[in-house]
Amino acid sequence: MSSKTGKPPMRSAAWRISLWATLAFACGTMVVFVFLQSFVAGDIQRRSDVWLSGEIKTLGDVAEHTPKDALYDTVVGEVAELAENEVPNKQLSESGSDDAVFFLQVGSDGALKLWVGAGSGEDHLKAIRASNIPPDRPTDVLVPGFAVPFRVASIRIPDGSQIFLGLSDRDELRVLRSLRLRFLFLWILIVLLGFGIVFFTTRRMLSHVREITEAASRIGHADLDARVPTTRHHDEVSQLALTLNRMLDRIESSMHQLHTITDSLAHDLRSPLTAIRGKLEMSLSTVSDGEHTEPIVAAIEELDRLTDFLNKSLDVAEAKADALRLTRSEIDLDGLLRDMIDLYEPSMSEKGLKVTQHSRGSVKILADAALLHRMVANLLDNELKHLPAGCGLSIELSVDADTASLVLEDDGPGFDSDVLQNLFERRVKGRNSNGHGLGLAFIDAVVRAHGGTVTAANRQAGGARIAIVLPLAAEKLHAAQ
Amino acid sequence: MRLLLVEDEIDIQSFLRRSLEEAGYEVEAASDGKTAERLAIENPFDILIVDLGLPDQDGITLILKLRQLGVRAPVLILSARRSVDDRVRGLEQGGDDYLTKPFALAELLARLRNLLKRNSPAGNDATRLRVQDLELDLLRREASRGGQVLQLTQQEFVLLEYLCRNAGRVVTRSMILDKVWGMRIQPDTNVVDVHIYRLRGKVDAAGQQPLIRTMRGVGYVLKDR
Repeated sequence: MSSKTGKPPMRSAAWRISLWATLAFACGTMVVFVFLQSFVAGDIQRRSDVWLSGEIKTLGDVAEHTPKDALYDTVVGEVAELAENEVPNKQLSESGSDDAVFFLQVGSDGALKLWVGAGSGEDHLKAIRASNIPPDRPTDVLVPGFAVPFRVASIRIPDGSQIFLGLSDRDELRVLRSLRLRFLFLWILIVLLGFGIVFFTTRRMLSHVREITEAASRIGHADLDARVPTTRHHDEVSQLALTLNRMLDRIESSMHQLHTITDSLAHDLRSPLTAIRGKLEMSLSTVSDGEHTEPIVAAIEELDRLTDFLNKSLDVAEAKADALRLTRSEIDLDGLLRDMIDLYEPSMSEKGLKVTQHSRGSVKILADAALLHRMVANLLDNELKHLPAGCGLSIELSVDADTASLVLEDDGPGFDSDVLQNLFERRVKGRNSNGHGLGLAFIDAVVRAHGGTVTAANRQAGGARIAIVLPLAAEKLHAAQ
Repeated sequence: MRLLLVEDEIDIQSFLRRSLEEAGYEVEAASDGKTAERLAIENPFDILIVDLGLPDQDGITLILKLRQLGVRAPVLILSARRSVDDRVRGLEQGGDDYLTKPFALAELLARLRNLLKRNSPAGNDATRLRVQDLELDLLRREASRGGQVLQLTQQEFVLLEYLCRNAGRVVTRSMILDKVWGMRIQPDTNVVDVHIYRLRGKVDAAGQQPLIRTMRGVGYVLKDR
């Protein structure tokens, strides 16, 4: 199954990598933004403090040299103009008048001498008195009735009175708030963008890895000459592909060697077997009386058993090395079983065995028909040889999402407990078995070569149970999805 | 029938030559590809037996070369290899046949006959088969002996038909498995024998002349006289 279609992106490695990278990235940029914001806030504060300190000096001079009647107008003009310059895009209060700036002069007796600003100024005076402002630097004063504190600077002029100039922090805070909003907006944008970039680049990179994985898993027993795709880039991924391909070269060459050895062994043994069998058959045709034919017939039968043993041992040897050569085609396992049972049923019933087949229609698998025939023949031969008369054999074929499972259950004596552990090993056979101990090893070999599994156990109720699981043909999978 | 036998093992070559000559073939033998090529071009043959493992070249290469040289005769491939090569399958589809070593002589002869029959223009499309008093109606899938209809299952009918088509000749168990069940297997048990035994019970009823004979160590034969 291709992970391209099957796997949701949330479960991919690219997703996890980008999530972690984005988290680190988001934390880092957040820290930078917090620093930037506090720096900007401090800067604005400093600038407004400098302005206030300068302005209070000017106003102190003005107050010193201007007669009291004219002072009010001068101060109003001065304050309005300077406040205008200092605070851009100033927000007007609801009353329409400018309450962001105030000017306050207190006489040496502590009484309010001059007030420029919204309201009566009494509240401001009270708040100023309560907060005890140092003369050299501006301080925050919270005036009742105002949500935002005022930055207030003070100066004492030679006539003994004290001048206070207050500037609301409202506009400064508003600037900072809008700055923060922009930062936040920008931050989200950058984080999302970063996530996107990281996700798509890692996914592209990992898609090469996935291609390699898919190609490598396709390189089965049949096509060892195939190789995983390599890229032009000389990065880690292409190194991985190259290493895999080199490894496949070595595997292919040792497989080839194994095949050469088994093939020449088979050839070297089969040629004399053929000659012997031929000679035996010829002498059988010339000898006509029963007494002399018997040993020849027995010899031919022994020879056929020897041939079968040779074939199976070589198959098992190759399969143990995962080197069994398969010629796969699409096979209906259900039909194959039916044919096989057809063939074996008379022998079974002759022996007093009852065979029942449970199936639910055709089951398509990709398999080597000849090997599968031999495997099922082995299974049924085993049952036929080892089940005592009167026993029953049930053969059930069922289908899962992507596997077919074939279960054989009988109510015979079951497997000997001392061979049950290594039943699928070569040369392992029960005490009363007269076979060559290759049957189950051969079955295991064929099933493994087809990418399946086989398990054998004794049933609770008595009797043996052999379960074979084989992967279904891929077409079937796609059709089911 | 002129037959070219290409086999490098002297033992196998000699017994094959003897039994093929006994079966009525006019045999010429070659031990390598070069000789085989020369013989095949010089004289026309009706059929060829080619071993895959020749000393000087691959059997398949030889067959393809002979085909290019205009040799049309069918080929029976002998293989001592374990797996059946895709190229052999290709040739099989092209009308040739293969047999793995070791083999029963009866099977070799049967396959040769089949190849020759397949390549002869007059197709055998009779709808009835008759062997002594046994009669098979291939259209109605019905068998009768001495006018008495036999109650056969589908499988038994196919088996009997196969025996009838080869009446008078030995068929081996593996031939029966191949042609009737379509499997090339070698069971450890007597599954084929039981089928034959059952069929015989129906065909050779008590008091009748037995038709199906067991040839021990070889196979079965349906007697045609």
